[in-house]
Amino acid sequence: MLPDANEIRTLLAGSGVSAEVDTVALGTVARVDAADAIDALATLKADGYESLVDFDGMDTGEAIELTWRLRSYSMDCEAYLKTTVPYDAEIHSAWNIYASALMPERETAELLGLRLAGHPNPKRLFTTDGIPPLLRKDVPIRSVEEVKNR
Amino acid sequence: MSDARDDIITVGLLAEGTHDPGVPPAGIRRAPTGVDGLATEHLIVNMGPQHPSTHGVLRMLVELDGEEILNAEVTLGYLHRGIEKLAEHRRFDAIATLMDRGDYVSGIMGETAVALAVERLMELEVPRRAQWIRVMMAEINRIATHLLWYGTMGLDTGAMGPFLYAMRDRETLLDILEAVSGARMMFNYVRPGGVVADLPAGIDAKIRGFCDAFDTYVEEHDAILSGNEIFQARLKGVGVIDAEKALAFGLTGPNLRASGVDFDLRKKRPYDAYAEMEFDVPLGTTGDAMDRFSVRIEEMRQSNRIIRQCIEGMPEGEHTAKVPKILRPPTGEVYASVESARGEVGIHLVTDGGTSPYRMHYHGPSLYALQALEDLMPGHLLADGCVMIGSTDIMLGEVDR
Repeated sequence: MLPDANEIRTLLAGSGVSAEVDTVALGTVARVDAADAIDALATLKADGYESLVDFDGMDTGEAIELTWRLRSYSMDCEAYLKTTVPYDAEIHSAWNIYASALMPERETAELLGLRLAGHPNPKRLFTTDGIPPLLRKDVPIRSVEEVKNR
Repeated sequence: MSDARDDIITVGLLAEGTHDPGVPPAGIRRAPTGVDGLATEHLIVNMGPQHPSTHGVLRMLVELDGEEILNAEVTLGYLHRGIEKLAEHRRFDAIATLMDRGDYVSGIMGETAVALAVERLMELEVPRRAQWIRVMMAEINRIATHLLWYGTMGLDTGAMGPFLYAMRDRETLLDILEAVSGARMMFNYVRPGGVVADLPAGIDAKIRGFCDAFDTYVEEHDAILSGNEIFQARLKGVGVIDAEKALAFGLTGPNLRASGVDFDLRKKRPYDAYAEMEFDVPLGTTGDAMDRFSVRIEEMRQSNRIIRQCIEGMPEGEHTAKVPKILRPPTGEVYASVESARGEVGIHLVTDGGTSPYRMHYHGPSLYALQALEDLMPGHLLADGCVMIGSTDIMLGEVDR
């Protein structure tokens, strides 16, 4: 179910967050500045998006794009919040707003090479020290040595 | 309950007045002051990754005060294969094999999520028969998954018998899945556009036979454990997740419904042929382990209902749409999610017009259940902790991915 893009734009503007909201193939997506992301999440939660059901990031080739997938069970709809941060940036944890962000944030930070601020346990989740951010596009699926020895 | 971590004193060699604190002692012991002045030693125990109650390779670092859990921290990564990265180097029809190795007990649902995402991007029309086959296979897989959980849930609480009963039925289901897809666990059956092969001749009699037998068997399963006084005592009131907490931790699937939130993707966002199926969505009231148990048992009954409807009303036609050999979806971004046996499996697919995804994010429900567990376990007995892990039905294959 798709929420109304205008409604979300007005809602976010009400709390001082300027957002580009569009309804695309993915759903209703609000794009905000990285600095406004936490405010936007807090606003959306207060509006009835009770649950953060997914959080992930993507290396676009120029920066890291983060996507929060929010669901409102009372309004029966999903909304997406997107923001772009530079490589190796520090992102602020949203765990105070959505407790479900705890582990996905650790995963995203580790696999895309970001740093976490305000996180109660900002450790690596899956890989050990020294493993490069695997989901970056410049990290090859096989190492140079491995390809040579095939 | 007061937090025992607040009043930790030092005893033994480091106790005040008996030893110079500057000298490294042979054995440091930290202990809380007990009510009666007697102290219990704090233990840090590594539960797993080979502990039988941790369902795979979960490692939990638990701090114990006697039998009571003070702190629990999950350590992950023992099964991390980088499925999301590997998918970026696979053709769209070859991702299904990766999904089978994600949640390796309910592979059909994971495969369906990828297929739905690609179909949505390519605007493919899936033939009605293919949709019905997918639904039927998913529900067979769901019962098989729930049976494995049911058996291990019994083992977690000390009941050996139910596991054997569950395996008896699961065996029949795996035989059916094997006859249709060719594999017992790594199916690789659902592809963008439909399914790999049509149903083999004579399979409907076998499935019908299972449905009839399972009507009795599921009551047997229910009675063996639900009716058991010890089992009830172990589960009732343990690991209560109320609706608010369930939403905060992003729980989905049976874990969410046990907390009384009526949300099933098969009903709320019908995909494939679920809109044509008649079934009920069981809900819990308190959100304790017993509710999660009852919800899953009832789900098995409902899945059996759906399988029967599928086998009775299976439409004729093609088992797959006409799709090119090499799939090349247009540039775009979609999110497809399905109701897996453990909750919502979501695929966030981004394409750039090539033959493999630009980025594929695989969302599994178990990672979110684990976070809830970390919050839930402190303050409970270690044995109750095992019940909590068992009742949330986590699958490490999809946690680590």
